[in-house]
Amino acid sequence: MPVVLSGKEQSLFRTVVRNYEDKQYKKGIKAAEQILKKNPKHGDTLAMKALCMNSQGKTEEAFALAKVALTCDMKSHVCWHVYGLLWRAVKNFEEAIKAYKFALRLEPESVQIQRDLALLQVQMRDYQGYLVSRRAMLAARSTIRQSWTALAVAQHLSGDLAQAEGVLTSYEETLKNPPSKTDFENSEAVMYKNSLIAEQGDYQRALEHLESAGKHNLDRLAVFELRATYLTKLDRTEEATKAYRALIDRNSEYKTYYDGLIKAMGVAPTDHKAMIAVYDEYAEKYPRCDAARRLPLDFLEGDDFKAAADKYINRMLDKGVPSTFANLKHLYSSDFKKEVLPSLVQQYIDSGKSEKSEEPKRNGDTSKGASAAFYFLAQHYNYYLSRDLDKAMDFIDKAIELEPKSVDFHMTKARIWKHYGNTQKASEIMELARTLDTRDRHINTKAAKYQLRNNESEAALKTMGMFTRAETVGGPLADLHDMQCVWFLTEDGQSYARQGKTGLALKRFTSIFNIFDVWQEDQFDFHSFSLRKGQIRAYVDMIRWEDQLREHPFYSRAALSAIEVYIKIADKPLLNGSNGTAGLSEEDAAEQRKAAKKARKEAQKAEREALAKKNEPNKSTREGDNDPKKKDDDPEGIKLAATTEPMNDAMKFLTPLLQFSPKNIDVQLAGFEVFIRRKKYVLALKCLLAAAALDREHSKVHSQSIRFKLALDKELDTINPKTAEVIKSEFNLIPASVPLAKFNDEYLSKHKDCARRTLSGLTTRRLLSPDASPSVEKDIVDILKFPTVTSEEATEAYEVLKSWKSSEVDTFKSSATQTWPKATIFA
Amino acid sequence: MDIRLLRPSDIPHVQHANITNLPENYFMKYYLYHALSWPQLSYVAVDVSRPKKTPYDYPRIVGYVLAKMEEEPADGVQHGHITSLSVMRTHRRLGIAEKLMRQSQRAMVETYGAQYVSLHVRVSNNAALRLYRDTLGFKNEKIEAKYYADGEDAHSMKLDLGFIREQILDEEDEDEGGPVGEMGKKNEDPEVEAGPKKRKVRVGRGLGIGDLVEKNESQKA
Repeated sequence: MPVVLSGKEQSLFRTVVRNYEDKQYKKGIKAAEQILKKNPKHGDTLAMKALCMNSQGKTEEAFALAKVALTCDMKSHVCWHVYGLLWRAVKNFEEAIKAYKFALRLEPESVQIQRDLALLQVQMRDYQGYLVSRRAMLAARSTIRQSWTALAVAQHLSGDLAQAEGVLTSYEETLKNPPSKTDFENSEAVMYKNSLIAEQGDYQRALEHLESAGKHNLDRLAVFELRATYLTKLDRTEEATKAYRALIDRNSEYKTYYDGLIKAMGVAPTDHKAMIAVYDEYAEKYPRCDAARRLPLDFLEGDDFKAAADKYINRMLDKGVPSTFANLKHLYSSDFKKEVLPSLVQQYIDSGKSEKSEEPKRNGDTSKGASAAFYFLAQHYNYYLSRDLDKAMDFIDKAIELEPKSVDFHMTKARIWKHYGNTQKASEIMELARTLDTRDRHINTKAAKYQLRNNESEAALKTMGMFTRAETVGGPLADLHDMQCVWFLTEDGQSYARQGKTGLALKRFTSIFNIFDVWQEDQFDFHSFSLRKGQIRAYVDMIRWEDQLREHPFYSRAALSAIEVYIKIADKPLLNGSNGTAGLSEEDAAEQRKAAKKARKEAQKAEREALAKKNEPNKSTREGDNDPKKKDDDPEGIKLAATTEPMNDAMKFLTPLLQFSPKNIDVQLAGFEVFIRRKKYVLALKCLLAAAALDREHSKVHSQSIRFKLALDKELDTINPKTAEVIKSEFNLIPASVPLAKFNDEYLSKHKDCARRTLSGLTTRRLLSPDASPSVEKDIVDILKFPTVTSEEATEAYEVLKSWKSSEVDTFKSSATQTWPKATIFA
Repeated sequence: MDIRLLRPSDIPHVQHANITNLPENYFMKYYLYHALSWPQLSYVAVDVSRPKKTPYDYPRIVGYVLAKMEEEPADGVQHGHITSLSVMRTHRRLGIAEKLMRQSQRAMVETYGAQYVSLHVRVSNNAALRLYRDTLGFKNEKIEAKYYADGEDAHSMKLDLGFIREQILDEEDEDEGGPVGEMGKKNEDPEVEAGPKKRKVRVGRGLGIGDLVEKNESQKA
C-alpha cells in the first residue's frame, strides 16, 4: 500500500520539488531524506530523490532508486514520470515515452506529463502520437492560440496540410475582434497559414489570402517575396514584374530576384540583349551594386563577354577588391572565358592605367591597381583549371614586392606552396602572414590549418590558443570542443590519421559525431519555445533541416575519415592489442606507450580535481554549467583504437552516411569496404551498384567490382544458396563470360591516359596474379610519365608502392622528386 | 555573392565563419535561438559561384550578421541589437558588411518596430568603427570597460532608426518602392568584422534556451 504522508511531511515534499526546480539538488536530497527517515517506502519521495541525484550526475544510483520507488508505488504517476525523465536524461527516448505514457494513464489530467510526452514525441518524429497529445492538450486549453497553432503544426508535419489550415481557421473564427496590426503572434500565424495554402499548391487562394489577410503583415519581406512567387506561378506577368522590381529595390544583391524578374518579363534565356538591359538598368540605378555588374558575365559570350568583363575587372582592380578572382573563377568552366579573363588583367597592367591610378594616393594606400592585378594573376595560375605554379609564384612575388605587408598576398603564396606539395613551406609562409596581422583571427585560423596539414599538431593548437577563451578549463582544445569548432577537430583528426596516431584521430572524428548528436538534441527546447514565441515558419524550417542534419558535408567528411581509419585498423590487426599502435614501428610504439602513461596520469589528476570540485556543492567548473561534466576516461582515444571490432565501430559512422548521403560516391565506396570486410555480400553489392550508377568508370568502382567477384567465388560455399542466387543475378558489372584478367586489361587500355585509373588497373592486376608484381611495380613508376599526372595521383601511387614494400620505391621517389622538385610529400 | 536571409540550414557554415573570423564564439543553439526568435533579422552573404563537389553541398557563407531584438529593454524602448557581424577576409572590400547591416536594420523597424539598434565594438577595431560611425551613422554612447573576455574595452554604439521609419512612410505614400538598398552615402567601404557583443548567456550546451534568455517553464509537476 502506498504510504500516506502527514501534513508536515507533505509540505516538506513540496520543498523537495521546489528545491529540484531551483536546481538546489543537495538541499532537495536532504529534505527527501528527512521524509524517508519516517517513511522509507514513500515512492514519490524516493523518486524525487532519484531525480535530484540524477541531476548531480549519479545516473546509475538514480536509476536504481527510481526502480525502488516504482516497486514501492506502482500506481504513482510521479514515480513513472520521474522514471521517464531519467530515461530522457540518458537520451533513451523510446523508454522515456513509455514511462510518460504510464504516468499519463494514471494521471490523465496532468498538464506537465502530457507536455513532456508531446515534446518527446515530436523530437522522435512520432507524428501520430504527437497528434494525439496535441489534440488532448487543445481540449484542455482551448482558449489560448498556442494550443491551436500547435495542433496545426502537428498536422502539418504529419503531412495533412488541409487539416492544419482548417485548425488555424477554426481558431480565427473564435476571435470576436480582429487582432491589432502589431499583434506579432497573429501576424506570424497569418503567414504560417499562407504558407500552408501555398504548400497545397493553391497559389490563387494563397495570393488572395496574402493580399487580404496579409496586407499589413509585419513580415514585409516575406509578403513581397511570396507575392512575387505566386504572381509568377499564376502567370500574372505584369504584376510579377513589378513585384520583383520592388524586391530588387530592397536588396539588389540577390540573384534569385533578377532571375524572377527576367522570367516574369518573359525574356527568353537566349535573349542576352534583353537580359543585359535589365542588369544595366540596375547597375546604373545602384552604383555600388555588385550583382548587376557580375551576373551578366555568366551568360554573355564572345565580344560581349569581353567588353563586360573588361569593365568589371577594371572597376574591381581599381578598388583593389581581393575577392575579384574568387568572384569570377566559376566562369573557368568555359575555356573561352578562362583565356579572356587573365588576358584582360594583363592588358590592365600593360596599359599603365594601374600606375596612373596610383598617383592620387589616398590615405596612404599603395598602388591598388597594379598589385591587385598581379594578385589576380597569381590566383589564376594557382587555380586547378589554369595551374602553372611557377608563374603563380612569379606574380605573387611581384604583388608582394609592391605591398610587402599584405596578409592576403602571403596567404596566396602559402597556397601556391601547398599546391607544389610542399606543406612545410606552405605552413611557414602562412605563419609569416599571421605575424603581419596578429589581431586578425582569419589569418590565425589559416596558419593553424596549414600547420595541421603539415602535421604540426601541437603548434597548431598553440596557434589556435591565441584566440580561444583563456578561462576555459581544459585549455584551447576544450574551448574548441565547447564552441563546436568542426573544421579544427576534423583537420586535427586527419592530421593524426596521417601521422598514424589512430587513437587521437578516432577521438577527433568521434567528437564530430557527438557534436552532431548535440545539434540534433538542440532542437528539443524549440518544440515549446517556438510556440511561445509564435515563430512557426522558422520552426518548421528548422525541423526540416534537422531531419536531414547528417547529410551535411561537415558530417560526411569526418565520418569518411573515421571509416578510413577503422579500415586501416581492420587490415592491420594490432600486435599486442592494447595500445592502438596499428602498423607502427617499434619506435612509434614506444612513443605511444609513453603517451598512454601520460594520459593515465592526467586522467588521475583530472579525477582528483573533479573530486575536489564535488566538495563544493552545486558549483561547477564554469558559471551556469549545471551538467557535471562527465570525465573523459579516454582523452587520447587509446580505447577507441584498441577496438577488436573495427568494422562494427565503423558502422556507427557509416549508417547515417548511407541514409543521408547515398548519392555521394565516396560514401558508397566506403560502404563497400566495410561490408566486404564484414562478409555482408548483399550490402556490399548494394553499395557497389550504387557507386557504379554514379560513376561506372570510377577507379575504385573498377577495383571493387573485381574484388567483389573474387570474394564471391571464394566464399560461395559459405553463402546461403538463395542469397547467392540473388547476388549473381544482381551483379552485372562484369559479364560472366569475360575472364577477370581480360576485363581488367580492357579497363587499363580504355583508360591508358588516366593516372588514377591506371593505378587502379595495375593494383588489380597484381591482385589477380601476384606473380606479375615486379612488372606491375615498374608500370606504376611509369605512371609518372603520364602527361596529365598530378602530384596527388603520384602520392597515391607512391603510397601503394610503399605499402607493398616494393623495391621500386626509391626509383619512384627520385623520379617524382624530379617532376615535383619543390614537393615535400615524396620525402 | 547573394545577400539573403539566414536560414536554419545555414547555421553550421555561419558558425564556421564566426569562429574563423572572431574570438567571440557561440554554440549552435545560440544561433538557433536567434534564427527562431527573430527570423527576419539575421542575414548572410553566400558564395553562390562555388562549383558543387557533392550533391549535398551547402552554400558557403562568406559573411553574416546575427541580430536580435532586446527582450527586456532596460530603457523600455523597443530596439534591435547586433550580436555578431563578420565577413571572411577573402571577401572584404565588397561592401558586404554594410549591405547585411542595412537589410537587418530595415527588418528591425518593419517587423518589430525598433526605434534604434545598438552594438558593441572593440575600441581597437578601426575598420569596424569606420563602418558603423562613418558609413552607417552610429553614434558612440559610452565606453564599456573590459567588456571583452580578453579585457579589451568596447564602444557601446547606437543608431536611431527614425530615418528608416520615415522612408517606409514615404514609400507607403508613393505606394511604389523607391530605392532603399542604396541609401548609404558613398564611402570607401571598409569591409569589416564587427566586434560582436559579449555573450550574456552562460556557457554550456546543456542549457535550455530558457536558460539563454528567459524564465524556463517549470520543469516538473
